Amino acid sequence: MALHQFDLIRDILDKQLVDKDEKQMGRIDGVVIELRDGQPPRVDHFELGFTVLAKRVYPRAAAWTRRGARQHVPWDEVHEVTQHHVKLDVDAEKTPAFDWERWLRKHIVSKLPGGKEKDE
Amino acid sequence: MKKATQLALGILTSVGGFFDVGNIATSAQAGASFRFQLIWALVLATILVIFLVEMSGRFAAVSQKALPDAIREHLGFGFWFIPFIILTLTHLLILGAEIGGISFALQLVTGIKYSWFAMPVALLVWLFLWRSKFNTIENSTSLLGLITLCFVVAAIAHHPPLREVAAGALPSLPTRDPAKYWFIAVSLLGSVLAPYLFYFYSSGAIEDKWDETYVGVNRAIAFIGMSFGALIALGALVVSGVVLGSRGIEVDDYQQAALMLTRAFPYWGFVLFAAAMGIACLGAALEVSLSMAYATAQTFGWNWGEDLKPSKDARFSLVYTAAIFLSALIIAFGVDPLKLTLLTMAINAAVLPFVTLPFLLLMNDEKLLHKQKNGWFSNAVVVFVTLLSLVLAVVSIPLAVAGGS
Repeated sequence: MALHQFDLIRDILDKQLVDKDEKQMGRIDGVVIELRDGQPPRVDHFELGFTVLAKRVYPRAAAWTRRGARQHVPWDEVHEVTQHHVKLDVDAEKTPAFDWERWLRKHIVSKLPGGKEKDE
Repeated sequence: MKKATQLALGILTSVGGFFDVGNIATSAQAGASFRFQLIWALVLATILVIFLVEMSGRFAAVSQKALPDAIREHLGFGFWFIPFIILTLTHLLILGAEIGGISFALQLVTGIKYSWFAMPVALLVWLFLWRSKFNTIENSTSLLGLITLCFVVAAIAHHPPLREVAAGALPSLPTRDPAKYWFIAVSLLGSVLAPYLFYFYSSGAIEDKWDETYVGVNRAIAFIGMSFGALIALGALVVSGVVLGSRGIEVDDYQQAALMLTRAFPYWGFVLFAAAMGIACLGAALEVSLSMAYATAQTFGWNWGEDLKPSKDARFSLVYTAAIFLSALIIAFGVDPLKLTLLTMAINAAVLPFVTLPFLLLMNDEKLLHKQKNGWFSNAVVVFVTLLSLVLAVVSIPLAVAGGS
């Protein structure tokens, strides 16, 4: 069931993001809105990443995290918004949201018994 | 038919989740030091845990979200950040205590010091999680867990004075050693109201694909499963009271606790205790590891699921991997498993407000739960637990210092 009206903070911020195959790909760590003259503000893009989270908890902490760890999700990529998730029209595996997942898979998991992708 | 099977399995699993190293330690201590006088703490904790487990399951079934997932989404990262870190550390301590329990069970049967077993045990727990699916874990450990019924059998065999047992179900003031009395009371509460139970149970409901039609099944599982688990803990407490309490044996070490079954089962008592302890702790170690991985993955929105291959959810799988080996280090360095367990149970009680406050907020959310939101009675229970937990949070650590040794 797609929603048509929702609260930005309660329902969108911190919501689960999924890709086109409904694979979980992080949460909406930040919402950036744009103020416009004479018109209602609009949601410009979402932000993802530890830097964004760190900034919410303790602004100075953001400086300690890796630069570029912040990912932008433009509104064009949003496919649908439901009670459970915000679905994007992308393949999670190919986005920076999966940087860590890919790195760990390649360098750690695949070296452990039963950790190779072909072990299905 | 499918629901009937799930009901039976759910009951078994929740017994497994209920009865663990914390219950063995606290029941043995309570019985040995105060005979049946502390049964009330176990009864109170059981009533509260039934309500909270029922809520975690109902929440997951209706909203299709596990608890950490919903807490992050609806209460926000700012709200969840500190509790999440504290609960993660608590999980590590509990996991250490469970690994310590398995290692000590192995020491009982082999005579080799527990700290040598910590890493092999960690490897076993890890392999189990790494290679099997959710249902295999649920079913195998819960069936084996039936061995813990030996405590109930032993309790009945001892023909305990029922009048005294029943009197213990009502709270009373200690006649001696109040610091120890209240410390054990708090630890008993902490051992039953362990935070991992709720995160594991609600994530398990998602793994098992529950929906709104499972509300009744969930209610039955919470009630029967938790009562059944409490019965086993009660059995252990009564046996300890009869066997250890009457002989004035204090439990400073699991070695003394292991004596409790030797009167009912002269030949097998020791081995039976070791087997029951090893299996109960193994089941719990699996649940605690998963609970931690669930909570972390859900907090950050990673893909998760015990049915996925580790290569499909690398971050999720590596969270439990790291947790298991880190916690095992505590035992490998020779920290006493019983002391670690009792301290952890006090910490469980201390962190309870972080667990109960979100319940109060989320269980009343009409958008998430529709008609299944909490009624006034359930809310009254949560308010009571929250107030109680705030008191526990303040007193439990000082009590651990004053009465724990």
